Amino acid sequence: MDVMTQLQRQWREHTAYLRKEGYLDDQFEQLQKLQDENSPDFVAEVVSIFFDDSEKLLNNMAGALEQKVVDFKQVDAHVHQFKGSSASIGAMRVKNLCIEFRNHCEAQSLEECVRCLRKLRYEYSLLKNQLEYLFKLEQQIRAAVV
Amino acid sequence: MGAAVDHVTPMGMSGGSAEGNDKSEGQRFSCKSKLTALVVDNGGVCRAIQTALLRSYGVETEAVETGEAAVELIASGATFSLIIIEMLLSFMNGPETAKQIRAMGAQSKILGITAFFDERDQQEFLAAGADNFIEKPLSPEIVIPIINELDN
Repeated sequence: MDVMTQLQRQWREHTAYLRKEGYLDDQFEQLQKLQDENSPDFVAEVVSIFFDDSEKLLNNMAGALEQKVVDFKQVDAHVHQFKGSSASIGAMRVKNLCIEFRNHCEAQSLEECVRCLRKLRYEYSLLKNQLEYLFKLEQQIRAAVV
Repeated sequence: MGAAVDHVTPMGMSGGSAEGNDKSEGQRFSCKSKLTALVVDNGGVCRAIQTALLRSYGVETEAVETGEAAVELIASGATFSLIIIEMLLSFMNGPETAKQIRAMGAQSKILGITAFFDERDQQEFLAAGADNFIEKPLSPEIVIPIINELDN
Protein backbone atom coordinates (compact mmCIF):
# COMPACT_ATOMS: atom_id res chain seq x y z
CA MET A 1 0.00 0.00 0.00
CA ASP A 2 1.54 3.30 -1.01
CA VAL A 3 1.94 6.20 1.37
CA MET A 4 -0.96 8.13 -0.11
CA THR A 5 -3.43 5.26 0.27
CA GLN A 6 -2.25 4.66 3.80
CA LEU A 7 -2.68 8.31 4.73
CA GLN A 8 -6.12 8.48 3.18
CA ARG A 9 -7.14 5.39 5.10
CA GLN A 10 -5.85 6.92 8.32
CA TRP A 11 -7.84 10.06 7.53
CA ARG A 12 -11.02 8.09 6.90
CA GLU A 13 -10.54 6.02 10.03
CA HIS A 14 -9.86 9.06 12.16
CA THR A 15 -12.91 10.88 10.84
CA ALA A 16 -15.03 7.79 11.49
CA TYR A 17 -13.61 7.58 15.00
CA LEU A 18 -14.43 11.21 15.72
CA ARG A 19 -17.99 10.64 14.53
CA LYS A 20 -18.37 7.41 16.50
CA GLU A 21 -17.05 8.96 19.71
CA GLY A 22 -19.39 11.89 19.30
CA TYR A 23 -16.72 14.55 18.91
CA LEU A 24 -18.29 15.49 15.60
CA ASP A 25 -21.75 15.08 14.14
CA ASP A 26 -23.34 15.37 10.68
CA GLN A 27 -22.85 19.12 10.61
CA PHE A 28 -19.10 18.62 10.18
CA GLU A 29 -19.83 16.74 6.98
CA GLN A 30 -21.87 19.74 5.81
CA LEU A 31 -18.76 21.84 6.29
CA GLN A 32 -16.68 19.41 4.25
CA LYS A 33 -19.22 19.68 1.43
CA LEU A 34 -18.59 23.42 1.32
CA GLN A 35 -14.91 22.81 0.60
CA ASP A 36 -14.07 22.69 -3.09
CA GLU A 37 -11.56 23.92 -5.66
CA ASN A 38 -12.64 27.52 -5.04
CA SER A 39 -12.16 27.24 -1.28
CA PRO A 40 -9.77 24.33 -0.79
CA ASP A 41 -8.95 25.25 2.80
CA PHE A 42 -12.44 26.13 3.94
CA VAL A 43 -12.75 23.62 6.76
CA ALA A 44 -9.33 24.36 8.21
CA GLU A 45 -10.01 28.10 8.00
CA VAL A 46 -13.34 27.89 9.75
CA VAL A 47 -11.95 25.58 12.41
CA SER A 48 -9.11 28.04 12.94
CA ILE A 49 -11.64 30.81 13.56
CA PHE A 50 -13.45 28.41 15.87
CA PHE A 51 -10.27 27.82 17.89
CA ASP A 52 -9.61 31.55 18.26
CA ASP A 53 -13.19 32.40 19.16
CA SER A 54 -13.51 29.48 21.56
CA GLU A 55 -10.43 30.44 23.50
CA LYS A 56 -11.71 34.00 23.84
CA LEU A 57 -15.14 32.81 24.93
CA LEU A 58 -13.73 30.39 27.50
CA ASN A 59 -11.58 33.15 28.96
CA ASN A 60 -14.53 35.53 28.99
CA MET A 61 -16.64 32.97 30.81
CA ALA A 62 -13.90 32.45 33.39
CA GLY A 63 -13.56 36.20 33.87
CA ALA A 64 -17.30 36.66 34.28
CA LEU A 65 -17.44 33.87 36.87
CA GLU A 66 -14.63 35.45 38.86
CA GLN A 67 -16.47 38.72 39.43
CA LYS A 68 -17.51 39.54 43.00
CA VAL A 69 -21.07 39.77 41.81
CA VAL A 70 -21.48 37.33 38.96
CA ASP A 71 -23.57 38.53 36.05
CA PHE A 72 -25.09 35.24 34.93
CA LYS A 73 -26.70 36.88 31.95
CA GLN A 74 -23.24 37.82 30.73
CA VAL A 75 -21.97 34.28 31.26
CA ASP A 76 -25.04 32.99 29.43
CA ALA A 77 -24.32 35.29 26.49
CA HIS A 78 -20.87 33.73 26.10
CA VAL A 79 -22.34 30.23 26.40
CA HIS A 80 -24.91 31.18 23.80
CA GLN A 81 -22.22 32.16 21.35
CA PHE A 82 -20.19 29.06 22.09
CA LYS A 83 -23.17 26.82 21.55
CA GLY A 84 -23.89 28.57 18.27
CA SER A 85 -20.39 28.14 16.93
CA SER A 86 -19.93 24.56 18.15
CA ALA A 87 -23.30 23.54 16.72
CA SER A 88 -22.35 25.17 13.43
CA ILE A 89 -19.13 23.23 13.01
CA GLY A 90 -20.60 19.99 14.30
CA ALA A 91 -18.70 19.85 17.60
CA MET A 92 -21.32 17.74 19.31
CA ARG A 93 -19.78 17.07 22.71
CA VAL A 94 -18.83 20.71 23.19
CA LYS A 95 -22.30 21.76 22.08
CA ASN A 96 -23.97 19.44 24.56
CA LEU A 97 -21.88 20.79 27.41
CA CYS A 98 -23.03 24.28 26.46
CA ILE A 99 -26.61 23.11 26.88
CA GLU A 100 -25.75 21.86 30.37
CA PHE A 101 -23.89 25.08 31.12
CA ARG A 102 -26.86 27.18 30.18
CA ASN A 103 -29.05 25.35 32.69
CA HIS A 104 -26.57 26.25 35.43
CA CYS A 105 -26.59 29.89 34.30
CA GLU A 106 -30.37 29.95 34.48
CA ALA A 107 -30.27 28.41 37.94
CA GLN A 108 -27.59 30.99 38.80
CA SER A 109 -25.52 28.28 40.41
CA LEU A 110 -21.93 29.53 40.60
CA GLU A 111 -20.44 26.23 41.73
CA GLU A 112 -22.09 24.29 38.92
CA CYS A 113 -21.07 26.91 36.39
CA VAL A 114 -17.45 26.73 37.48
CA ARG A 115 -17.51 22.95 37.34
CA CYS A 116 -19.13 23.00 33.93
CA LEU A 117 -16.60 25.49 32.59
CA ARG A 118 -13.83 23.16 33.66
CA LYS A 119 -15.50 20.27 31.78
CA LEU A 120 -16.02 22.52 28.79
CA ARG A 121 -12.37 23.57 28.67
CA TYR A 122 -11.32 19.96 28.86
CA GLU A 123 -13.73 18.78 26.17
CA TYR A 124 -12.71 21.66 23.94
CA SER A 125 -9.00 20.83 24.29
CA LEU A 126 -9.70 17.19 23.41
CA LEU A 127 -11.55 18.29 20.30
CA LYS A 128 -8.79 20.71 19.36
CA ASN A 129 -6.18 17.96 19.55
CA GLN A 130 -8.31 15.62 17.47
CA LEU A 131 -8.96 18.19 14.76
CA GLU A 132 -5.33 19.28 14.65
CA TYR A 133 -4.37 15.65 14.07
CA LEU A 134 -6.94 15.43 11.27
CA PHE A 135 -5.57 18.53 9.58
CA LYS A 136 -2.03 17.23 9.95
CA LEU A 137 -3.06 14.11 8.03
CA GLU A 138 -4.59 16.32 5.36
CA GLN A 139 -1.37 18.27 5.03
CA GLN A 140 0.56 15.04 4.64
CA ILE A 141 -1.88 13.86 1.99
CA ARG A 142 -1.45 17.10 0.08
CA ALA A 143 2.31 16.80 0.35
CA ALA A 144 2.14 13.22 -0.92
CA VAL A 145 0.33 14.39 -4.07
CA VAL A 146 3.16 16.68 -5.09
CA MET B 1 -3.64 0.78 -9.05
CA GLY B 2 -4.94 4.21 -8.03
CA ALA B 3 -5.85 5.28 -4.53
CA ALA B 4 -9.51 4.78 -3.71
CA VAL B 5 -10.64 8.35 -3.48
CA ASP B 6 -13.46 8.43 -0.99
CA HIS B 7 -16.05 11.05 -1.80
CA VAL B 8 -15.83 12.20 1.78
CA THR B 9 -12.12 12.91 1.53
CA PRO B 10 -11.68 16.65 1.18
CA MET B 11 -8.74 17.98 -0.79
CA GLY B 12 -10.71 18.84 -3.92
CA MET B 13 -9.44 15.69 -5.52
CA SER B 14 -12.35 15.58 -7.91
CA GLY B 15 -10.01 16.72 -10.63
CA GLY B 16 -7.70 13.77 -10.18
CA SER B 17 -8.27 10.06 -9.87
CA ALA B 18 -12.03 9.76 -9.99
CA GLU B 19 -12.29 6.19 -8.83
CA GLY B 20 -15.28 5.98 -6.49
CA ASN B 21 -15.73 9.76 -6.66
CA ASP B 22 -19.45 10.27 -6.30
CA LYS B 23 -20.09 13.41 -8.33
CA SER B 24 -23.85 13.08 -8.00
CA GLU B 25 -23.44 14.37 -4.47
CA GLY B 26 -21.64 17.35 -5.89
CA GLN B 27 -24.51 18.33 -8.20
CA ARG B 28 -25.16 21.50 -6.33
CA PHE B 29 -28.58 23.12 -6.17
CA SER B 30 -28.36 26.73 -7.30
CA CYS B 31 -30.69 29.71 -7.22
CA LYS B 32 -32.33 30.72 -10.52
CA SER B 33 -32.58 34.49 -10.12
CA LYS B 34 -30.05 36.93 -8.75
CA LEU B 35 -30.46 36.61 -5.01
CA THR B 36 -28.62 38.52 -2.32
CA ALA B 37 -28.31 37.86 1.37
CA LEU B 38 -27.01 39.52 4.51
CA VAL B 39 -25.80 37.57 7.52
CA VAL B 40 -25.86 39.42 10.83
CA ASP B 41 -23.94 37.58 13.54
CA ASN B 42 -21.41 38.54 16.21
CA GLY B 43 -19.64 35.18 15.90
CA GLY B 44 -16.98 34.69 13.22
CA VAL B 45 -17.62 30.99 12.87
CA CYS B 46 -21.32 31.43 12.18
CA ARG B 47 -20.70 34.32 9.80
CA ALA B 48 -18.20 32.23 7.84
CA ILE B 49 -20.35 29.12 7.65
CA GLN B 50 -23.66 30.79 6.87
CA THR B 51 -22.02 32.95 4.21
CA ALA B 52 -20.33 29.94 2.60
CA LEU B 53 -23.53 27.92 2.61
CA LEU B 54 -25.55 30.66 0.93
CA ARG B 55 -22.81 31.38 -1.60
CA SER B 56 -22.64 27.69 -2.49
CA TYR B 57 -26.19 28.10 -3.79
CA GLY B 58 -25.25 31.11 -5.86
CA VAL B 59 -26.60 33.68 -3.42
CA GLU B 60 -24.48 36.84 -3.29
CA THR B 61 -23.85 37.12 0.42
CA GLU B 62 -22.38 39.69 2.79
CA ALA B 63 -21.87 39.44 6.52
CA VAL B 64 -21.78 42.01 9.31
CA GLU B 65 -21.11 41.73 13.01
CA THR B 66 -23.74 43.98 14.52
CA GLY B 67 -27.37 44.97 14.11
CA GLU B 68 -26.19 48.57 13.85
CA ALA B 69 -23.98 47.72 10.87
CA ALA B 70 -26.87 45.92 9.18
CA VAL B 71 -29.18 48.90 9.67
CA GLU B 72 -26.51 51.27 8.36
CA LEU B 73 -25.97 49.12 5.27
CA ILE B 74 -29.66 49.10 4.44
CA ALA B 75 -30.06 52.76 5.23
CA SER B 76 -27.34 53.44 2.66
CA GLY B 77 -29.50 51.79 0.02
CA ALA B 78 -28.39 48.16 -0.02
CA THR B 79 -31.19 45.68 -0.56
CA PHE B 80 -31.20 41.99 0.18
CA SER B 81 -33.50 39.12 -0.76
CA LEU B 82 -32.75 37.44 2.55
CA ILE B 83 -31.44 38.67 5.90
CA ILE B 84 -30.39 36.20 8.58
CA ILE B 85 -30.14 37.74 12.04
CA GLU B 86 -28.80 36.17 15.20
CA MET B 87 -30.99 36.67 18.29
CA LEU B 88 -28.28 37.67 20.76
CA LEU B 89 -26.08 40.24 19.11
CA SER B 90 -23.46 42.30 20.95
CA PHE B 91 -25.38 45.57 21.13
CA MET B 92 -28.80 46.02 19.58
CA ASN B 93 -30.39 42.57 19.63
CA GLY B 94 -31.85 40.58 16.73
CA PRO B 95 -35.50 41.56 17.08
CA GLU B 96 -34.66 45.25 17.50
CA THR B 97 -32.52 45.01 14.37
CA ALA B 98 -35.38 43.38 12.46
CA LYS B 99 -37.75 46.07 13.69
CA GLN B 100 -35.51 48.86 12.44
CA ILE B 101 -34.98 47.14 9.12
CA ARG B 102 -38.72 46.75 8.63
CA ALA B 103 -39.27 50.37 9.67
CA MET B 104 -37.09 51.38 6.72
CA GLY B 105 -39.47 49.59 4.42
CA ALA B 106 -37.26 46.62 3.59
CA GLN B 107 -39.22 43.80 1.98
CA SER B 108 -36.48 41.21 2.52
CA LYS B 109 -37.25 37.81 3.91
CA ILE B 110 -35.96 37.95 7.48
CA LEU B 111 -34.87 34.77 9.20
CA GLY B 112 -34.19 34.97 12.92
CA ILE B 113 -31.61 32.45 14.10
CA THR B 114 -30.37 31.48 17.55
CA ALA B 115 -28.17 29.07 19.45
CA PHE B 116 -30.92 28.11 21.92
CA PHE B 117 -34.46 27.98 20.63
CA ASP B 118 -36.81 29.79 22.98
CA GLU B 119 -40.50 30.47 22.42
CA ARG B 120 -40.37 33.94 23.93
CA ASP B 121 -37.49 34.84 21.62
CA GLN B 122 -39.47 33.44 18.71
CA GLN B 123 -42.48 35.58 19.58
CA GLU B 124 -40.32 38.66 19.99
CA PHE B 125 -38.59 38.11 16.64
CA LEU B 126 -41.78 37.42 14.72
CA ALA B 127 -43.51 40.42 16.29
CA ALA B 128 -40.53 42.49 15.17
CA GLY B 129 -41.10 41.47 11.58
CA ALA B 130 -39.10 38.30 11.07
CA ASP B 131 -40.68 35.68 8.83
CA ASN B 132 -39.21 32.72 10.56
CA PHE B 133 -37.08 31.72 13.57
CA ILE B 134 -34.80 28.71 13.77
CA GLU B 135 -32.08 27.16 15.87
CA LYS B 136 -28.51 26.90 14.55
CA PRO B 137 -26.98 25.38 12.54
CA LEU B 138 -28.28 26.83 9.30
CA SER B 139 -28.86 23.80 7.10
CA PRO B 140 -29.61 23.04 3.44
CA GLU B 141 -33.04 21.80 4.58
CA ILE B 142 -33.81 25.33 5.75
CA VAL B 143 -32.06 27.28 3.00
CA ILE B 144 -33.17 25.45 -0.12
CA PRO B 145 -36.93 25.97 0.41
CA ILE B 146 -36.29 29.64 1.15
CA ILE B 147 -34.31 30.04 -2.05
CA ASN B 148 -37.05 28.27 -4.02
CA GLU B 149 -39.59 30.65 -2.52
CA LEU B 150 -37.50 33.70 -3.36
CA ASP B 151 -36.85 32.45 -6.88
CA ASN B 152 -40.61 32.35 -7.58
